[in-house]
Amino acid sequence: MLKLEKMSSFYGESRVIDKLDFEVEPGRVVCLIGRNGVGKSTTLKSIMGLVKVPEGRILFDGRDISKLPTYERVKLGIGYVPQGRDIFPQMTVQENLELGLQPIGGKGEIPQYLYELFPILPKFAKRKGGDLSGGQQQQLAIARALAANPKILILDEPTEGIQPSIIQDIGAAIRKINEMGITVLIVEQYLEFVLGISDDIYVMEHGEIVLKGKTSELSAEEVQKIMTD
Amino acid sequence: MDQVLSMLFNGLSSSSIILLTSLGLAITFGLMRVINMAHGEFLMIGAYTTYCVQNFFKAYLPNVFDLYYFAAIAAAFAITFAFGCVLEKLVISRLYGREIDSLLATWGISLILQQAARSIFGSQGVFVTSPSFLSGGITLGGNTYSFNRLFILLVVAFCLLLVWFIQYQSNFGRQMRAVMQNRPMAQCMGINSRRVDCITFGIGSGLAGIAGCSVALLGSIDSTIGQSYIVNSFMAVVLGGVGKLLGTVFGSGIIGFFSILFENFTSSSIAKAIVLLIVIIFLQKKPQGLFVVRSRSLDE
Repeated sequence: MLKLEKMSSFYGESRVIDKLDFEVEPGRVVCLIGRNGVGKSTTLKSIMGLVKVPEGRILFDGRDISKLPTYERVKLGIGYVPQGRDIFPQMTVQENLELGLQPIGGKGEIPQYLYELFPILPKFAKRKGGDLSGGQQQQLAIARALAANPKILILDEPTEGIQPSIIQDIGAAIRKINEMGITVLIVEQYLEFVLGISDDIYVMEHGEIVLKGKTSELSAEEVQKIMTD
Repeated sequence: MDQVLSMLFNGLSSSSIILLTSLGLAITFGLMRVINMAHGEFLMIGAYTTYCVQNFFKAYLPNVFDLYYFAAIAAAFAITFAFGCVLEKLVISRLYGREIDSLLATWGISLILQQAARSIFGSQGVFVTSPSFLSGGITLGGNTYSFNRLFILLVVAFCLLLVWFIQYQSNFGRQMRAVMQNRPMAQCMGINSRRVDCITFGIGSGLAGIAGCSVALLGSIDSTIGQSYIVNSFMAVVLGGVGKLLGTVFGSGIIGFFSILFENFTSSSIAKAIVLLIVIIFLQKKPQGLFVVRSRSLDE
């Protein structure tokens, strides 16, 4: 579904990611974990086209998207929830949600299941997006990314700064979304959450994958060791 | 009593003219944060367009001459819209995030446009003939309210409604607000931000064109006509709070009414100085203007 081939990314002059190979198979929940500053978010930003990728290829459904502008990539069926959610603060919850329809031309209806998955959305529809709490913003951001029925949902640290009970809700929502056939790619630091939700795990260090495998076959201790060393 | 009424009307009229010339700035400067020094020259282009359309009607369509003004409004908007888009594509889009550079570049463009106008139309001012339905006025009490100025009030109301509709009711407006609030995230929502920038700047410039069309009714048109309006406009946008449409409305109102009020007691240049002083003192107390965009984020 999504495949990175020998991809390198730069922030200005410095190379953050060097010849990364990485693959997300369709229908799975894939987690990319690692400590702060190892290049996880940069990997996602490279997929979205927010960071320059001068080398390597990014294949989405077999097509190289590394030369496409961000807004064209999204139209192919990528839903993105960035770190910090990036809700539009001056717009209402409903307006934020409807912005999710832009990839399909700004027309159409918000899928009904999203309101059932996140009941706070109809409840707070008229509030300003910036007035919601972190957890509520996270739910809004996920719903917004799903409004145009993408093939893959990409989440950057969905648990960051969110209280434990809401993390559980979000985990359950991601599971449900995956059961509906949407592939999920998550970047995380919170190991427990990752072990509970993922099918495949990639562990990243200094812009490289140092360990990968099915969640059921990896030993949690080994991953923990890399994360804390 | 009559004197008070007359002062109120003059204040309202003066405010409406400032508002009309500020609306475009509220978009290019308020929303996009581009300091476009050539904004006044777009107003000039609008005014000269009106003059050209008038001459065209005089020569070829004299029996429907009065309709020239409506054709002029459309033409002024279309031409300045196109000018704005070209300027954005060629110059401003390359200078985003470099305010000083874009300020200098647009100032240069302003000088070029002024000289171009002098070369084409001469340095002598030209006049447009008001259409017959706008000449004269109504007399109420002891005061005469000229149709020209009443008509400008209508144009302002129409433009304000138009801007409000585009910004808050249309799909393009939604894209525009998304891009201005958070550019990378707007791109991640599938919005072509380059296109939005270009059209938004075009709309702001087009509004300057309509403003030029209106001020053409009030006096002579020459190459520096933009300069006489631009200072008040920038002041109105800053006073109202950058980025808020309602703020621009109030900012224009305050500057318009105060200028007329003080003109009654002193001369018009002293009145200008007093208004400027008030604005400076106000901005010392509230640097963000009358209307502040509130948000949870601390970085503002």
